[in-house]
Amino acid sequence: MSKYQEKAGHEINLDKITLTDVIDLGFLQQFQDDFAKGVGVASVTVDAEGKPVTNPSSYTRFCMDFVHSTDCGDKRCAESHHKGGEEAARTGKPFVYECHAGVIDFAAPIMLEGRHIGTILGGQVLAEEPIEDKYRKVAKEIGVAEEAFVEAVKDVRILSRERIEAAANVLFIVANNMSREAYQKMKLQTASETLSDGIGQISATMQELAASASTVSHTQTNLNNEIKNVNTVTGKIDEVMDFIKDIADETRLLGLNAAIEAARAGEAGLGFGVVAQEIRKLSDDSKQTVGRIKELTTIIKESVEKTVVMGNATTETIEQQAAAIEEVTASVEEINSLTDELTLLSTEK
Amino acid sequence: MASIQLVVFAVDDQEYGIDVLAVNGILRAKKFKIQLLPGMPKSIEGIINLRGQIKYLYNLRHKFHLQDAAISDESKFIMLNIYDSIAGWVVDEVTDIVKMDDENLEVPPNCVNGFANHYIKSIGKIDERLIIILDPEKVLAQEDLEDIPLPDKLVV
Repeated sequence: MSKYQEKAGHEINLDKITLTDVIDLGFLQQFQDDFAKGVGVASVTVDAEGKPVTNPSSYTRFCMDFVHSTDCGDKRCAESHHKGGEEAARTGKPFVYECHAGVIDFAAPIMLEGRHIGTILGGQVLAEEPIEDKYRKVAKEIGVAEEAFVEAVKDVRILSRERIEAAANVLFIVANNMSREAYQKMKLQTASETLSDGIGQISATMQELAASASTVSHTQTNLNNEIKNVNTVTGKIDEVMDFIKDIADETRLLGLNAAIEAARAGEAGLGFGVVAQEIRKLSDDSKQTVGRIKELTTIIKESVEKTVVMGNATTETIEQQAAAIEEVTASVEEINSLTDELTLLSTEK
Repeated sequence: MASIQLVVFAVDDQEYGIDVLAVNGILRAKKFKIQLLPGMPKSIEGIINLRGQIKYLYNLRHKFHLQDAAISDESKFIMLNIYDSIAGWVVDEVTDIVKMDDENLEVPPNCVNGFANHYIKSIGKIDERLIIILDPEKVLAQEDLEDIPLPDKLVV
């Protein structure tokens, strides 16, 4: 992860991108040198703070040996460059101007998403034949030998203003395209990393889902079996109830027969008759209780049947879910390999 | 006040009663296997083996001109002391044993009385319920006597 990427996500922090992040300095130096030689303009690239990031290309003797030879000249140069650079950064376009020492310079801003990240400074040419007096005056101001300075300015290359502007433009366009392209690539890389992370998470989640679906399916099967057990037990309760009902029937009959015996015994059987009646009542109660329990077991059975039906529906749903998860997993795999390709593309130099 | 004790039973959702003194005992139909007797009148259901003795069972549905119905788990045999022996009636259920005061008994309607020796002895009232009280011996006697082998006398 690069310094311009926040830790949590993969957002590119535009404010932290510097010139060296988006421009291959080796390539720029080569291009700058070749261009300077070919067109005959000097140039150097500086970052947003004005610090040079390339070596100067084709600097003139006029500038190197005279203007920069004194502290005053050096300082005035720095000021001049600074002004030109600021103007270029402000307008976002190459700015051609005459420097403090009387030669034509330009400043081509390197912009990234509207932000100024560096400047190509160049020029050290003349647009027309130099007027000696002008340079004598400059020589005096910066404290260099007048005659030699005037001789040196005669060596300075003369280019039409259009050609100077065109040269500035070429450097501007190339440098800006380079940085923009590098930035796009950076964004692509970030996006593909985000994508890859997201897919990784989806993949992990899908695996968890598949695992939990299988657990749920297993649990549901157990549940279904367990519920069927309830049905078996309920059936057994019914069998026991049938047995109890039979006992109640038998008891009732005993009560009836006892009542008949008691009646036949006349006065002597009166007490026994009461007992016989109680026996009959008890058996009736037992029978009613059996009926109630049977109603309850019937409700349980119905409930169980409904539960089994619902359980089967659940099992079916889980199976469908598992199948869906498998499909998604397959799709995620495909996307994953695409993302790998994308990452490879974005990291290629 | 004079009273009578009745065994109340149901046949085809109608309630009938017989004097408890005529009843020998009540049996659960599901405990016995009824042996059919070929060539007998419809009113004889068959015979059972009661503690080693053969007893005849009579079908009241036929007697009362009711629709035939299969014997169910709830069906009972009311064993009666008649003609100095024991014979059974197949009934749907024995519902009650009740004591009934004479004031709740009414003689059967005239038209019934018109028949000499009719088996309906009287009509008993318990609240809203009406109980047809039967004379067991007459129930059997009113069958065409020549057709009916009297119980126990037929045993070879």
